[in-house]
Amino acid sequence: MRRVQKKCRKQNGKWTRPAKPGAISYRLKCAKTANGLSHFVMYGDVDKKQALV
Amino acid sequence: MNKKGLVIWDERLADKGFILDPDNVFWAILCKGEDGGITIPAQALSLYEKTRDSLDGQMRDFRFNSNLTAVYIDPTDRCNANCPYCYVPAQIRKNGRSMDRKELAFILEKISKYFEGEGRKAVIVFHASEPLLVKDIIFEAIERFSAHFKFGLQTNAILLEKDDVEFLRSQRVGVGISLDSSDPAANDRSRTGNFEKAVRAIEMFNGYEGLNVITTITKFNVTGLTRMVRFLHAKKVPCVLMNPVRLTQKSSHAVRPNEKAMAKYFIEAVNEAIGLSRRTKHRIIIGNFSNIILGIVAPTARRLMCDISPCGGGRCFFTITAAGEMIPCGEFIGLKGFSGGNIFRDSIEDAMGSSPFRKIRSRFVEKIDECKSCAFRNICGAPCPAELHAFGDMFQPSVFCEFYKAVIEYAFRLIAQGQERYCFREEAFNNLEYEYKI
Repeated sequence: MRRVQKKCRKQNGKWTRPAKPGAISYRLKCAKTANGLSHFVMYGDVDKKQALV
Repeated sequence: MNKKGLVIWDERLADKGFILDPDNVFWAILCKGEDGGITIPAQALSLYEKTRDSLDGQMRDFRFNSNLTAVYIDPTDRCNANCPYCYVPAQIRKNGRSMDRKELAFILEKISKYFEGEGRKAVIVFHASEPLLVKDIIFEAIERFSAHFKFGLQTNAILLEKDDVEFLRSQRVGVGISLDSSDPAANDRSRTGNFEKAVRAIEMFNGYEGLNVITTITKFNVTGLTRMVRFLHAKKVPCVLMNPVRLTQKSSHAVRPNEKAMAKYFIEAVNEAIGLSRRTKHRIIIGNFSNIILGIVAPTARRLMCDISPCGGGRCFFTITAAGEMIPCGEFIGLKGFSGGNIFRDSIEDAMGSSPFRKIRSRFVEKIDECKSCAFRNICGAPCPAELHAFGDMFQPSVFCEFYKAVIEYAFRLIAQGQERYCFREEAFNNLEYEYKI
């Protein structure tokens, strides 16, 4: 797990905590659709079952 | 030299740095220490080691398989507008032919047979020039083949009537309406007179989830992209694509926007869309920016094929012209030597295996000198081969390379701020699942 360095230091008269040496990284995959659909069915396919707006 | 492994940057994101593997788009955004230096946490490195081979394989499959899923059909060469940047040459738009009912039915039967046993519907998109000039035959085909295909329609909306809107909504057709500006004068300089009709059509669709607007960015509308987002949001449009003009035809060069200005105004438009989506009930996304975000967080879930390398032309989709020629993408319609055969004589299998189609599939970023050392090469994909072929050589970086770099950097910033979810429709984001996360 991420290690957080908690040791504080005094700088310019104020106590500061060093930035956390963290990272953001993730990968998503599409649970429903696959490669190659055009933009017409992208980002929320037009679902036949969905009620008309 | 092709850079392999992780690339480390510490200047791009102000208080953050990032690591990226350009080949499989593994990335991590890192916090900087007090001294401005970056520490790469062991957790990120071990995740990279653990996932690297699998991500390499996924990316290879995604880029190099030839899984045809969509066919664009141009049922007519003719158009009732005269946009200066159109990739269909003016001569073809003026004197070209149109398919008749029988020909269109023949084509759809043939495509339907090709996809038999696939287990899911292929996508048919009626596209350039202006498909509504042969409205009767395409509407009839949509009804007749609704059990076989998902349909899309790209139109300037000049001929779109209330009954048509109701029909398209009832058939759940994806509809793209071309509109370049919220300012009638600016729009009509490039879209030649469709403003009133397009806006009326957008209003008739009234928030239909299958609607998107395509805005081609030119020197005429580049400063008005943010206003355009506000305008479309007020009209409940769920998705707009703001595409840089393609310079495939020489006539389009006169409307080329300044690249730096385009990046600046495009990013402002993205911010406006995010702000509106956060503050209001109605969400609007800029689809081509969403695709760039997807290129980073979910590369294999990308839907737009232009920023994948090789592009989707002749691989995931192809175009059938009004004369039946099978070409890798509509963008090639005015370029010689790119027909993979004629649908009335030849098979789809033959077209997919033809030398012009193979030529497009063999054009990818690792073969382009400038791109193979660029960390963003598999996020931008160096579009577009047709455009660059028209410039003399398709093995060169995108005409708007600097634009793509600026926009991708901005996409990383948004991800670092956790704002990327506002770039997707809510239901689309819910269709994604985590493969890993730290």
